[in-house]
Amino acid sequence: MKRAPTDRIFTALADGTRRQVIRALSEQGPSTATGLAAGLPVTRQAVAKHLGALADAGLVTATRRGREVVYQISPRPLTDAVSWMADLGARWDERLAALRDHVVAARRRR
Amino acid sequence: MDPIEREVTLPATPREVWPALTEPGELSVWFGAAVELDVRPGGRGVFRWPDGTERPAVVEAVEPERRLCFRWLPFQRTAAGGTAALPATRVEITLDAVPEGTRVRVLEREPFSLGSRRARTGNRMLARIGT
Repeated sequence: MKRAPTDRIFTALADGTRRQVIRALSEQGPSTATGLAAGLPVTRQAVAKHLGALADAGLVTATRRGREVVYQISPRPLTDAVSWMADLGARWDERLAALRDHVVAARRRR
Repeated sequence: MDPIEREVTLPATPREVWPALTEPGELSVWFGAAVELDVRPGGRGVFRWPDGTERPAVVEAVEPERRLCFRWLPFQRTAAGGTAALPATRVEITLDAVPEGTRVRVLEREPFSLGSRRARTGNRMLARIGT
């Protein structure tokens, strides 16, 4: 099985505003909290807090540049989370196909 | 995460399909894992995959020939002996008699919004039960 993303990633992504922050970050490229807040309906402080949570989950990385902190998306954990969820659906497809084969075979034996 | 919904129609009655969902020996044939499952509310289960990973579960609801509901505990044991956190999703399998046989529907989803205080508390409690 693939490396499982942690609960922290799902928890971080469960919040709508944090998903907006991620989206804004992927559109704008590396940005500061102030730069991101300009395009979002929340305060700079709120954006900074969400960026902190996203950084804790490993979804964004923070780099200090002088007096500013620049955030950017770290694509790997995000891809893992998305592919884990996609795999979950694919696994049920396989299981239900196998269940069908099993039931058909059992019925033939009767 | 988005809920996962799948369904399949089987050429057998719900009475014939039910054991395939609840007898560990039959589950192990199609689930892709060796399954131990105590099919009653509160019953424990362990799913062991061929790659050595292992995931515990708890049965939440059983309505014979109609509905089986279990919850994954929020982690799996890796082949190397470590643990990896996973969302504690709930799997609900429902059977409906249809003219062609039985429609089996699977819904796997988070039982409540992840990230809520309640979800975190729930996960902690489940993790404690699982040790």
